[in-house]
Amino acid sequence: MQAEQELVDRFCEKFGFLQNKIYVKRQKRIFTEFLAKEEFEQVLHYAHDELGFYRASHVVGTDEGDDLGFIYLLSNEDGIILALKEKAPKSDPVINSMTGIYPSLEQHERELVDLFGAVVEGLPEGPSYPLPDGWPKGSYPMRKDWDPKYFDKNTMTYNPPADDAKKEGGNK
Amino acid sequence: MSRKGKDNRIVLPIGPQHPSLKEPASFRITLEGEKVVNAVIGVGYNHRGLEKACESRNYVQDLYLIERVCGICSHTHSTAYCQGIEELAGLTIPRRAAYIRVIVAELERLHSHLLWLGVAAHEIGFDTLFMYTWRDREKVLDILAEVCGNRVNYGINTIGGVRRDVDESMLQDISKMADALEDQIKYYLDLAMTETTLSVRLAGVGKLSYDDALRFGVVGPVARSAGIADDIRVTEPYAAYDEVPVRPVTDTRADVLGRTVVRIKEMLESINIIRFCIRNIPDGDIAVKAPLRIPAGEVISRTEAPRGENIHYIRSNGTDKPDRVRVRAPSEANWRGVKHMLEGGYLADVPITIAAIDPCYSCTDRAIIVDSGSRTEVMDWQSLRQYSIDWYKKQGVDTASAKVSAKEYF
Repeated sequence: MQAEQELVDRFCEKFGFLQNKIYVKRQKRIFTEFLAKEEFEQVLHYAHDELGFYRASHVVGTDEGDDLGFIYLLSNEDGIILALKEKAPKSDPVINSMTGIYPSLEQHERELVDLFGAVVEGLPEGPSYPLPDGWPKGSYPMRKDWDPKYFDKNTMTYNPPADDAKKEGGNK
Repeated sequence: MSRKGKDNRIVLPIGPQHPSLKEPASFRITLEGEKVVNAVIGVGYNHRGLEKACESRNYVQDLYLIERVCGICSHTHSTAYCQGIEELAGLTIPRRAAYIRVIVAELERLHSHLLWLGVAAHEIGFDTLFMYTWRDREKVLDILAEVCGNRVNYGINTIGGVRRDVDESMLQDISKMADALEDQIKYYLDLAMTETTLSVRLAGVGKLSYDDALRFGVVGPVARSAGIADDIRVTEPYAAYDEVPVRPVTDTRADVLGRTVVRIKEMLESINIIRFCIRNIPDGDIAVKAPLRIPAGEVISRTEAPRGENIHYIRSNGTDKPDRVRVRAPSEANWRGVKHMLEGGYLADVPITIAAIDPCYSCTDRAIIVDSGSRTEVMDWQSLRQYSIDWYKKQGVDTASAKVSAKEYF
């Protein structure tokens, strides 16, 4: 795991804020903790420009309670995966698109918009993915508080009980 | 179809019901004459919400859902999922189970690539080859049915190992099938190189250069046909691939012909792998007991599916249900590359270019007959075949003279 540790050391050398926030999980796996937008972007640029993480395989969206999490899976020539994590508050879930650096992420970032309600700035124009036309606005099915039992597929409406609706900002 | 602006461009909407796919996807193709200048791909019509469903079911139930992500490469998904859970739970599967996983994975690659070769042949109007390859694919599916109990959605994997053992007669049948298939595959390779219907029709179509393949993050045979020697079986050996010699097949043509050659050569490689496994499979148990509750943690598990790198991200929270499951299937990684391949090409090449990334179909050989909601009967392969013979006889067609029972076929 020498190569992995060397990469972690280089990240830590470059960015003081990464101390204790980046670690080798096992062979070929480097994980970070969730980072704020500005920090995340600096690290991602450095990983791409200087450390040879040329490929972005995916972005995994997660629900972190008050925040949304975005786990970018980058990999280099040796097949080492860097799981670089970004978070944004649900109250203002704005992130910047990374498709300028990694065009392969276009569809994956589009998915974050539909399923998690993220606002991805700079995403190229294109059809939404993967929810159908007519899906209720403001209803994000991969958030933990979204429950399929309140979704009526015949009328395409989401009708949570009053308490939940209040919590979610009246989704319908 | 609509005409737009002064530049005389035509926008052609194709799909969602598309001639080259049995699954829905929409393509908005902008044409200048016969040349494609822009392609907008719309997918997601088949999004079934599997990942949300996984969060409300336990790890064992999820295994059955994950197996159904894809009808063709279901084993690769259940392998990625199982080995992810095994890593979280700290389980080491028995070596015999690891070998069985490899045998089924390579059988799956064989039938998937044969299926693709048939589809590709069909797309360019070479239906004789389509029928040849699909006939040969049946040999592999029959073996999968013998080893796993089903032709697709094999259900061989379980958390901690595999569900079924293989016996000596099964291994012999696999060996016989591999011998018969090898000659056919060599013939197809010769065909691809020398038969102009293939070599001229496919050369230069759907170009994706080495640099573009890297930029758009394509995987599997699409990447390897552009010279990228990327194969998870070698980069990060899983199951028994650490002991099994795997030689990644690459090509430099970077077009549909290159993708065809890579897939055909990969089948020969799969046969070598299967033979190695049959010779070297160790004795022993086939599974270890797995806990129902999985310790909290997160894992990224990868396998090499027939279509390329398959990634599963799983996060557990210490309960019997996962907190998050995300499946990045290989076709998902290849769509962005397709857009680039289509642009600059010709309208007539659109179907084969799309087909060349090998989008998946699903098939099944078993039907459950429900009679008035009370009596149910599961028909196996033989009885289903007999039913079809009888049905055709009633229509005045006697198909009984065509003897193609599984055993006689080899």
